[in-house]
Amino acid sequence: MPSQLLALIPLAVGINFALGYLVAALHLPVFLDTVGTVLVAAIAGPWAALLTGFLSQLVLVVFGQFTLMWFLPVQLAVALYAGFGARLGIFRTLRRTILAGVVLGALAATMSWPISYFVFGGVTGGGVTVIITLLRSLGLSLGESIYLGGLSSDLIDKTFTLVLVRTILWSLPQRMRVRFPLVSKTIGRA
Amino acid sequence: MTLGFQPGSGLLHRAHPFTVLAVALAVTVLVFVLPAPWGPIGSCAALVALAFLGRIPRALLTAGIIVLPMWMFSFLLHGVLGGDALRAITLGARLTAMVLAFLLVVATVHPSRLVDALLARGLPFSGAYLTSAALQAVPRLRDRGRRILEAQRCRGLRVRGSVGLRIRALVPLALPLVLGALSEVDERATALEARAAGPGVRRTPLDPPRDSLADKAFRWVLAIGTGVAVLVRLVG
Repeated sequence: MPSQLLALIPLAVGINFALGYLVAALHLPVFLDTVGTVLVAAIAGPWAALLTGFLSQLVLVVFGQFTLMWFLPVQLAVALYAGFGARLGIFRTLRRTILAGVVLGALAATMSWPISYFVFGGVTGGGVTVIITLLRSLGLSLGESIYLGGLSSDLIDKTFTLVLVRTILWSLPQRMRVRFPLVSKTIGRA
Repeated sequence: MTLGFQPGSGLLHRAHPFTVLAVALAVTVLVFVLPAPWGPIGSCAALVALAFLGRIPRALLTAGIIVLPMWMFSFLLHGVLGGDALRAITLGARLTAMVLAFLLVVATVHPSRLVDALLARGLPFSGAYLTSAALQAVPRLRDRGRRILEAQRCRGLRVRGSVGLRIRALVPLALPLVLGALSEVDERATALEARAAGPGVRRTPLDPPRDSLADKAFRWVLAIGTGVAVLVRLVG
């Protein structure tokens, strides 16, 4: 593994957690726990992002997020989607980024549904469980409540994640872009 | 809410890291394959006993704080709204057992000891570096995030108010954090190259944890027992 990648991946894992701290401090209804993973996908490709996603979920256990480790397949899917999406140009225009975020949100919600339903019975903790309980009290089935609860949360979170990564990529100073040559291709600026 | 490593010399502290990890993984499987609700409840009881034997009763308090809201939502969602109290109990016991099992790992296995154990088993240097550097990066960047938040607030950034206002506040907080982290990459990469951290490099740990015969035998028994439980569940 190139040493630049070896240096980048742990920092991206740290970004995943640090942004979680910032959104909690701002009381925003998002997690942003995949920003580091998506960023690596955009600047180093899908396979590096896959490793970042895997490592992030592993580190989650050490820092007490025991239930989230079950969602490893979702984190890996986000990494691959962002990596291949970046090559296809999802970060080139804001419209593409938002559209890709909505698709990613739907994909993440669909992938996390069986885990939330069969492993946790909808009790994953946090704000999503409150939404699921509210939907259930409105008369929806447990399966529908879990899917809609997850979808409402993932659509916002993943769209926000991709838009934030796009903002970061476009804000990178030229000297930093030179160090990560894939960035210019990702945002469509040579 | 988390516990972190608790120094000690109890049963689990003395065990090889793979043994403690194997217990956690076995529990994670067994709570789903053993008959409900007594299987998950029995697993919880066994882990409580293990916490006392390992002299880490604090893990029980932390687990209680983590799972209490889960039990509440489980009863609300499945007991009150779903009319199935047994499912609520099963789910609560499963989650409690899984949380407690991994808390015991976190409380008794120091990350560096786990990395040493992995290195002794042939993990390449890159794998060991990624694991330990990620573990160090998390608290460091979280602390940096806190300092950026304080600094931006001193400069007049408003972090309260409407959702739109708070979303706008995120960019001046996230950008310095991410750009700062990215600017470290080159420096770290040079340091790694200077230490010959290229592909295929293997390091010998100075003091790897001792993997005793008892540890190995226990892991085999645990693996066979869990495998049999899964088979019985699939066939029965």
